Amino acid sequence: MLEVTNLSVSYGGLRALTDVTLSVKEGQFVTVVGPNGAGKTTLFKTISGIVPAASGQITFMGENLFGLHPARRAHLGIAHVPEGRQVFKTLTVLENLEMGAYPQAGQRAWHHTLDRIHTLFPILAERATQLAGTLSGGEQQMVAIGRGLACAPRLLMLDEPSMGLAPAVADTIFERVSQIHKEDGVTILLVEQRVAEALELSDHGYVLETGRMVLDGPYETLLQDDRVRKSYLGLS
Amino acid sequence: MDLEVLIENVLNALAAGITIGCIYGLMCIGLGLIFGIMKIVNFAQGELLMLGMFSSLYLVTGGGILAFMGPYIGPFVGALLAGPIVFAGGCLLHKFLIARVSGLRTAGSLDEGHFGQLIVTLGISLILQNGGLILFGSSPMTVRTPLASSAIEVGPIYGDATVFLNKARMISCAIAIIVAVSLYLVLEYTRMGKALRAAADNPTAATYMGIDTDKVYRLAFGLGCGITAIAGGLMATYLSFGPFVGLDYVIIMYSGVVLGGMGSILGAFWGGLTVGFVQQCSALILPPQLQNAAIFVVFLLIVLLRPQGLFGRSAERA
Ligand SMILES: Nc1ncnc2c1ncn2[C@@H]1O[C@H](COP(=O)(O)OP(=O)(O)O)[C@@H](O)[C@H]1O
Ligand SMILES: [Mg+2]
Repeated sequence: MLEVTNLSVSYGGLRALTDVTLSVKEGQFVTVVGPNGAGKTTLFKTISGIVPAASGQITFMGENLFGLHPARRAHLGIAHVPEGRQVFKTLTVLENLEMGAYPQAGQRAWHHTLDRIHTLFPILAERATQLAGTLSGGEQQMVAIGRGLACAPRLLMLDEPSMGLAPAVADTIFERVSQIHKEDGVTILLVEQRVAEALELSDHGYVLETGRMVLDGPYETLLQDDRVRKSYLGLS
Repeated sequence: MDLEVLIENVLNALAAGITIGCIYGLMCIGLGLIFGIMKIVNFAQGELLMLGMFSSLYLVTGGGILAFMGPYIGPFVGALLAGPIVFAGGCLLHKFLIARVSGLRTAGSLDEGHFGQLIVTLGISLILQNGGLILFGSSPMTVRTPLASSAIEVGPIYGDATVFLNKARMISCAIAIIVAVSLYLVLEYTRMGKALRAAADNPTAATYMGIDTDKVYRLAFGLGCGITAIAGGLMATYLSFGPFVGLDYVIIMYSGVVLGGMGSILGAFWGGLTVGFVQQCSALILPPQLQNAAIFVVFLLIVLLRPQGLFGRSAERA
């Protein structure tokens, strides 16, 4: 579904990603883990077309993404739930969700998806007319995920959805993401620093360190890797 | 007797304040879109007002294509048509100049592109003023309509005290309100309007939603230009203007927008209304040279007491 091949990205002269290759198949739950500054957000931004690539290729459902205007990606069914939530603060919660449904597919499925979003996150129904900027961090994250779901995505990309949240709230978020994957059949690409929880949910994991993919494999394989156990899971 | 004169003066100042205030309100909405919502510093906004005035003038008078409509309807249709004309100009301006210093291109940069916008729009403003001087000449113009010199008389209300409602201003005021309300409804309730607000709020996230922010920004900038131009066309029916008329109004527009509260279309309208109202009512007690000073005293007072503006609301968590 999503194929990233030998991707390199630089900011000015600074290399952020080197020769990164990653593949997400339809229906999979794929997680990318790695320390701060590894280039995870850069990878997402490049997929979304916000940051230009130096070399390499990205295709989605066989279509080369580099030839496309950044805004076209949502219309293809790629939803990007960005790092730091990035909700529309001056819009109401409902308007935020409506903006998620901006692409045609989202508009057609609107009534159904809105119900679904409200089932997953009942608080968003209660807060429908409140400005999104006035919500708590956890609620804003729910808006951001709901907004992503509203475009009826084929691929949902989530960039550190648990960042800055209390453990209990983060658990709820993980549970909902898992539900979205299992019950709605949405393909998931997740970036997380809560490695244990994230890998547990996923079919396939990648480890990104200082711009390079150093390791990848199914959950079970990663769990047995010494480096992953030591650096990311705190096991010996 | 003295009381009658006083009452008459006060009532007439109130009436003038409200009618002119509504037209100022529309004028401020144009800047409210560009500065308040899109956060683009535009010092050429006064010149857009001027272009609206001259567009209407050339449409309506002499061999203009609206000349057949006559002096009663023509000037108002001309004012409305100045909107699309300046809208188109604004879109081009945005495409070739403003887009380079705003939107996604400067999102997240240190100054959000404000320095660039300041210089670019000041330059545009100078070019338009001097270009206007070459093209239109310096003699004062007005879009003549007999309605400007006739009034509806209300009263006598108290003794002989009568309110005179200038017909040109009344019609302009009504048109201003209709245009303002329509724009408000479009921004508040249509998909396009919401996309515009979303793109202004967070261009990066809006792009993730599939919104082509460049296009939306261009449309918004054009709309802001066109709205102010319509206000210009309306004002042209009752005041005389030249290529430098924008200088008098750009400050009024900024005070109106800030007074009303950044980021709110209704706020910009009320801000403009307040400014017009204060300006007209100050004529009761102050000489004309001090009317703009009165605006700023009220402006400073309100900003002192309510820094977020009359209608600003905070979208940040307290
Ligand atoms: N806009 C930018 N300009 C310059 N360097 C950047 C920019 N964004 C990120 N970087 C750098 O790129 C590297 C990767 O950052 P990022 O993708 O945010 O990492 P992660 O999301 O894994 O924490 C870091 O070294 C960071 O400093
Ligand atoms: Mg990151």
